[in-house]
Amino acid sequence: MPTDLSALRARVENAAKVLGRCWPLQSYIAANPLAGLEKLPFDEAVAEGQALYGGRGYPSVAQLRAAWDAGAINANHLADRLEAYGFTESPAHLLDRMEAATPPSVNRSNDSLLNRVMAKWLAVFVDQGQATWTMPRRQEGFYAAWRAVAPYDTTLAHRDCLHDLPERPLEALAAALSDVEPSQWERVLRHHLTALPGWASFIKWRSQDRHDAWQAAHPITMTGYLAARLHTARAIGLPVAPDGVAEAAVGASRNGRDRPAMAAPWLEAWEATYREQLLHDVQAAAATIHTGAAPDRPKAQLVFCIDVRSEVIRRHVEQAGPYQTFGYAGFFGLPMQFQPYDSDNRITACPPIVDPKHRIQEVCGDHRPDAAAAHERWVALGRAWQRLIKSLKHNVAAAFGFVEGSGGLFGVAMAARTLIPGWLRTQHQAWAKRVPTSDTFCDLSLDRAPAADHADGLPVGLSAEERSYYAEAAFRLMGWQQFAPVVVFTGHGSETVNNPYASSLDCGACAGHPGGPNARILAAICNDPAVREVLSERGIVIPEDTVFLAAEHTTTTDAVRLFHPPTLTERQAKIVDQLRRDLHTARVQAAAERAPALQGARRSHAVADTARRAADWAETRPEWGLSGNAAFIMAPRALTAEFSLDGRAFLHAYNWQTDDRGTALETIMTGPLVVGEWINMQYYFSTVDNAVYGSGSKITQNVVGNVGVWQGNGGDLMTGLPLQSLQVDDATPYHHPLRLLAVVYAPRARVSRVIERNAQLRSLFDHEWMALTVLDPEHSNRRYVYQPGGTWATPSTESRDDQDTEPALAL
Amino acid sequence: MLSSFTTRLTWLLFLCTVGALVVHAVAGLDVSLGALLRIDGLTLIMAVVVTFVSGIVHSFARRYMAGSHHGGRFFSRLFGLTLVVLLLTAADHLALFAGCWALMGWLLADLIGLIRGWPQARAAARHARWSFLGGSVLLAAALALLAGQTGATTISAALSRIESLPVGTLASIAGLLIVAAMIQSALIPFHRWLLSSMTAPTPVSAFMHAGLVNAGGLLLARFAPVVAGLPEVMLAVVVVGALSALLAQAWMLVQVDVKRQLGCSTVAQMGFMVLQCGLGYFAAAIAHLVLHGFYKAYLFLSSGSTVVMKPPGAEARDASGGPALVVTGLTAVAGGGLFMWFTGKSIAAPDGGLLLTLVVVLAVLHAAHTMLRTTALSAPTRAVAVPLVVLPALALYALVYNGIVALTATTPMATAPAEGSVVHGLVGALFVLAYIAVERGWHLERPRLYTLLLNTSQPAASTVTTHRTEYHAH
Repeated sequence: MPTDLSALRARVENAAKVLGRCWPLQSYIAANPLAGLEKLPFDEAVAEGQALYGGRGYPSVAQLRAAWDAGAINANHLADRLEAYGFTESPAHLLDRMEAATPPSVNRSNDSLLNRVMAKWLAVFVDQGQATWTMPRRQEGFYAAWRAVAPYDTTLAHRDCLHDLPERPLEALAAALSDVEPSQWERVLRHHLTALPGWASFIKWRSQDRHDAWQAAHPITMTGYLAARLHTARAIGLPVAPDGVAEAAVGASRNGRDRPAMAAPWLEAWEATYREQLLHDVQAAAATIHTGAAPDRPKAQLVFCIDVRSEVIRRHVEQAGPYQTFGYAGFFGLPMQFQPYDSDNRITACPPIVDPKHRIQEVCGDHRPDAAAAHERWVALGRAWQRLIKSLKHNVAAAFGFVEGSGGLFGVAMAARTLIPGWLRTQHQAWAKRVPTSDTFCDLSLDRAPAADHADGLPVGLSAEERSYYAEAAFRLMGWQQFAPVVVFTGHGSETVNNPYASSLDCGACAGHPGGPNARILAAICNDPAVREVLSERGIVIPEDTVFLAAEHTTTTDAVRLFHPPTLTERQAKIVDQLRRDLHTARVQAAAERAPALQGARRSHAVADTARRAADWAETRPEWGLSGNAAFIMAPRALTAEFSLDGRAFLHAYNWQTDDRGTALETIMTGPLVVGEWINMQYYFSTVDNAVYGSGSKITQNVVGNVGVWQGNGGDLMTGLPLQSLQVDDATPYHHPLRLLAVVYAPRARVSRVIERNAQLRSLFDHEWMALTVLDPEHSNRRYVYQPGGTWATPSTESRDDQDTEPALAL
Repeated sequence: MLSSFTTRLTWLLFLCTVGALVVHAVAGLDVSLGALLRIDGLTLIMAVVVTFVSGIVHSFARRYMAGSHHGGRFFSRLFGLTLVVLLLTAADHLALFAGCWALMGWLLADLIGLIRGWPQARAAARHARWSFLGGSVLLAAALALLAGQTGATTISAALSRIESLPVGTLASIAGLLIVAAMIQSALIPFHRWLLSSMTAPTPVSAFMHAGLVNAGGLLLARFAPVVAGLPEVMLAVVVVGALSALLAQAWMLVQVDVKRQLGCSTVAQMGFMVLQCGLGYFAAAIAHLVLHGFYKAYLFLSSGSTVVMKPPGAEARDASGGPALVVTGLTAVAGGGLFMWFTGKSIAAPDGGLLLTLVVVLAVLHAAHTMLRTTALSAPTRAVAVPLVVLPALALYALVYNGIVALTATTPMATAPAEGSVVHGLVGALFVLAYIAVERGWHLERPRLYTLLLNTSQPAASTVTTHRTEYHAH
């Protein structure tokens, strides 16, 4: 048997490759639900997704029709694409035909009982603190815990067969597959893994995360899940290998290749319409760029996250005063876990493509003991209160008296939260001012502190070399040339209540957490004289009079809060004072700009309205998050500063003139850009099929196990974004489902080299998961459009929009 | 817009009912409108609560349901239900009462299945509809029997004549009424519809758990004279209520999804409310309904707030030392004494009320125990915190309870304490035992019991969305 077992292990791994990964709600990561199929071309992958999960891969007819009617799809582009695909009918006729065509459905109705039983056990196993009585023997792992309870599960007709299961999951799985031809194993396993894709992708994430504390405490593996599932199938009386599975080879959907999806040309035309306008604007700006004379030294420079929401506030900050802004990944290049003061949680604060390498702790300094004591007192009181409520609520005997004693207060609170949420927020903030925040009295554990290292954890602190490295990397990637007296690293987070998807609105680069801590750490590093000395040796000279500050941009309200600053000179203090005022002005302007898109908001009351949304427990659309994202621009700000990008573009500062070898470009394209693609695909698929790839409507969601949601009474875990994050109503998307366009302002040859060196990046472009256009400054800013296979095309007419936009279709 | 109109109208109704309640409290008069309606204290209490919760749910849903294609149906059904429940609380004609009851069930089932494109929501609605239909038939049978035997057509008239009925007939009517109430209040074994109803949008659940399950309590309180005269039936009610209370609260321990956890909690609280009825404390049961309604509506509306990051590791179970136990015990006894004093219960004439006192003692005990174990707080803070939390809570409850007792003075048999019995003692012992068992952790590491609780609290099979392709948002 040993050879069989290692073969089986490989089969499990292979079978699981088709799955994407799903993170828990506390650290929501926007990822491509079809990440497991990204090695296929886009059209094949979505067809495969249809076959495996029953999910739609292209915008629905209704969505296309709405975009067409609204003029978001240019008639010329559409005619172009339809011709390329060989469609000869009129657009209206094609839409009607698509409507009439029914997509192939996946019939998995035999799985219902099996799915229900497995969902039940998975939910109780992965629970992160919701139940007071947790599944027995969880610490031994999923399979062992399941093995202990399953013989008592009376929903299984033949549960007798579960009494003498092997102790090890792999052996148990082999036993369950004993009647199946080894050549069929992979298909059978894939069939079972894709039966509950939500749960399976959650397991996939958890079993692969080396830093998750819950996985360490209660391990679950794909093998363990499959062993339990297959034996449950036997105990129900279902065949382990259902009829038809054997024939369903991977890529069975590919026989539909000759007949491409009718929606594909529509999507491409929609994308082309958006891209044409954007590139036209960027190109025009590039033509007017002044080279040579250095601009005046700005009063302050602010670094924001590349997040599409930063674009709006950046524009208004720049308009408010002599400020310069930059775009940089919001984790500020620090691969770390952060442990806040007074908390046992270790927050992974870097994107999922980066492994955390350090742990930084917030430790109580000795400069403001009174503040620390006050903070402690309030926090302890708040926690004691919450603990008391929870303990009484769940107690078998005390709950009844508790309800009678507390019911009146709940009634008052309910009325206040529903009728006067904005006022309540104001009161709460006034009260919260009394509690000193941790940044005012805490230090960050920047120095290496081997004594603080946990045996199982990451090294605490950073070495001198590491500190200089992260600071240098930041300025190199952004192509920094001149330092203002005040430089502010601005992370971002959101402010919402009663929102299971709160962390989906936080900084994606910080793994769904607010980016404030990262900003504070980088600012502290850059203020370190030793770091500055090393940097100046390496050619990055930071003037004496430059100070680094940290801030956090609250995307829901567009407020920017400066963290407790270091000691400032008089001049710096004056600039910071003015900056605070200007940030407020920018907030008012940004909120007003966003108001029309938020239903029911009035421009004149925009600030109050955003504040209300941030505090309103009845609000399902507190902000639009990254909805609308469609482009990722790597260029100096000058190329994008003069026009509005409508909050639809990721902006990463990049200066081709300071990056001769292309190392900065390579880092940006293999790091932030790839994360941008994950986010973009999450928004895309959640929009085109909200049931299969998204998480459905918030109004019927039910938070399960503190890790995810299911719909209504339970079943599969819903992954992806809720409907309200993407749509203005049940039918109308706010997010336009377009694939990401990467725009690079750099010599074409340099971009080519980066792509050639990175197979994964190349695969994403070649397989059309995203597109790439280069504006080559060495060739009078001409456009080069990357073609699958590695060639470049130059559009013959670079600005079609200048032509007559009336449809002139070749019919 | 419909939502704006019904929301304003509901708040207007709320103001009217509050006004009527004040007038009633001052004048102390019941108003009869022909043979159809009779507005008494009980009517007005329930009306104020229902319009309040409905108003909150209306206002909440105007933002929460924005963009839903079912907004029109949602608001019309919600408002319709509010009116039907108002009518139910005021109905005096037996047929009107039965009719409102049936209509209420029908509308509620429709709201559970509001998302029509979603097969599991339709299945949940079907399940609920059949349950309510069963309840309505039983209720209709009970009322028909009552009308037939007493020759009366109104509740008030029928209740004034029940003394003349043979015990057997009375017991049959009582039995039918009790089962109808159990179905409406989702008591075990009729809980399945409630635990399968999470396909309903959150505001519907809030209204359902705060307003509509209460109708079971209203039914028992309205027909208290039928039940209260039969000691054996009352004991059966106590047992039925206590079983639901304890078992559903145990179910709650193992649930991992927020809404089913709340659903189990509702079954338990309704069980306790029925237990209070069985003890003859109908006014206490009404107080419980009202307060539980606020509590549960709040928790449903805030059910999206539970996602917080927690590190793994069981909460520390520490055995507190002797002095702390003594303090805890004394506090609990003091709390119980205050409760008896506040609610006018006499230790000299022990009755079923003693059981209610026991429940309060357990709650105070647990609160004090939890507070004293919170070592993060300084010792003086802990010492002050216990009375600071417990006293206002007890006072607030006493205020509500005494208010309800005063307002229901004209309602027949609102408070008719049953004599103490062995059964009461056993039920009390069961509560204490359950408390100790859970505190000591005796239940943990019992896979068979765990599986049993988990399996018996599952929703109906057809209402679980086992394939995401079956889910539809509208």
